[in-house]
Amino acid sequence: MRTIKEAIVDRIDYFLSLPAFIWQVLFLWIPLTIIIVASFYSRSAGLTFSFYRELFTGAHARILMRSLVLAFCNALACLIVSYPIVYFISFRASRWKGLLVFLLTLPFWVNFLVHAYSWFFILERNGLLNKVLLSLHVISDPIHIINSLKAVAIVMFHAYLPYMILPLYIIFEKFDLRLIEASMDLGANRRETFWRVTFPLTLSGAKLGFFLVMGMSFGEYVIPQLMIGDKTFFVGTLISEYFILSRQFAVGSAFTCLSALVLFVLTLFVFIGFRALKKGVR
Amino acid sequence: MRRLRRFVLPSFVGAAYLFLYLPIIVLVIFSFNNAQGTYNWHGFTTKWYVALFHSEEILMVLKNSLIVAFCSTFLSLVLGVMVVYAFKELLDRLAGLFYIPILVPEIVLSVGFLYLFSFFNIPLGLPTLIVAHTLLGLAFSVPLIHARFSEMDSNVIEASMDLGASGWQTFVRIVLPFLTPSLLSAGLLSWIISFDDFLISFFCAGSSSQTLPLYIYAMIRSGVSPVINALSTIMLVLSCLLVLIYSSIKFQSKDIV
Repeated sequence: MRTIKEAIVDRIDYFLSLPAFIWQVLFLWIPLTIIIVASFYSRSAGLTFSFYRELFTGAHARILMRSLVLAFCNALACLIVSYPIVYFISFRASRWKGLLVFLLTLPFWVNFLVHAYSWFFILERNGLLNKVLLSLHVISDPIHIINSLKAVAIVMFHAYLPYMILPLYIIFEKFDLRLIEASMDLGANRRETFWRVTFPLTLSGAKLGFFLVMGMSFGEYVIPQLMIGDKTFFVGTLISEYFILSRQFAVGSAFTCLSALVLFVLTLFVFIGFRALKKGVR
Repeated sequence: MRRLRRFVLPSFVGAAYLFLYLPIIVLVIFSFNNAQGTYNWHGFTTKWYVALFHSEEILMVLKNSLIVAFCSTFLSLVLGVMVVYAFKELLDRLAGLFYIPILVPEIVLSVGFLYLFSFFNIPLGLPTLIVAHTLLGLAFSVPLIHARFSEMDSNVIEASMDLGASGWQTFVRIVLPFLTPSLLSAGLLSWIISFDDFLISFFCAGSSSQTLPLYIYAMIRSGVSPVINALSTIMLVLSCLLVLIYSSIKFQSKDIV
């Protein structure tokens, strides 16, 4: 005769692991399902595409396009700037390496809002940038950066640069330096070694960083909201507008799904691009 | 020409670090500025720090933030250890599942939480925040704890059982001490993610329960103030300390392995 207690002890694995899985289902899968269902279905109209039809406007297309271009360019800019930095830290920085790596991890722990806020002191009309440029006589009148797309782009680049550097750094750390020696011994010059050995082998880190930065920039809310306000919408700011201010949950869900789809398609294209790049350098 | 080229890369890296840190340095300097709402320097003062510690509002939102961060960290560690200990083999294949909350854009997650809570008429507040942050915490705690547990020699557990220890004793005396480094780093990560989180809190904190990032955000929107600078500076210093603790933990755990 098995008692209930024995049965429980027997199956203890399942009972212990249940909470974590329940958490996933309840707070990740169900909400995502609700968003998708709500974008197609309403109690009054049944199955409907009317919420999506509301999104077929020039304004929505422009917002999606703006976020798309910003996300892609931000990821590309981060990659182009991070690559030499990581290359330097991993291969050249011998003595300073520890300190440089420490300084790279620090921004991760700094609050995102603090990052964005600190830029006001640089970019404002009387901010540091204008003061320096004016005193150097580069410009004669203060330039307007705050409340423009430029400010959003600069702050996004600044905030997400560490997210590109870290995955790259991890890949560079795994890189076997003997491969470079081998390549040189076999008669390749520095440039050939870089393009045919170092670059292809570190591409996976670049890919990871690219997806990370692109995905996060695409839905970014705080930076556009602080830097440009309600004047120009981005995907993140428009979604929260739908859900928090105007409480149009159905249209908001439709827009959320559409944005996710757009991001997915972009990611796919970038994926194909990276594959082509890898083939190209080989 | 050759010598000149040798300086290109280091100076580029130097410029990049300056770019990364300049805004923060300026921010810290202006927390000591003896004037409000200006970008000009008016002399040194520490009065904003004094004002900070006398503001009851800030202490209240700080309390909320700490409650949420500690509860969600605790929950994600406990749930994480439970699932890893019970389901190690399955997790070898399924650990990736727990990464999904990081891969889904944060704004989608936030919308999902808001929708879920309003769908079931659950009032927004600290409990909903704790629940939401725990999901994010699990995304870090499960893979980290799982990776550490995979390094453990299963013979050790068997030996402990053979020598007469019960399952619980084995867990507390053998498994838990072994997992400690991963618990510390996972705990620190989920703590800081919860403490710093703005967007999810913005969607599911409700109007009555503010957290520190929400409060800072409201303050920034109402204009530049040295009090925010002072607050940011204190948070920066705390972050530095956390990074130091974190890297020393990682360093030590490397020694053990």
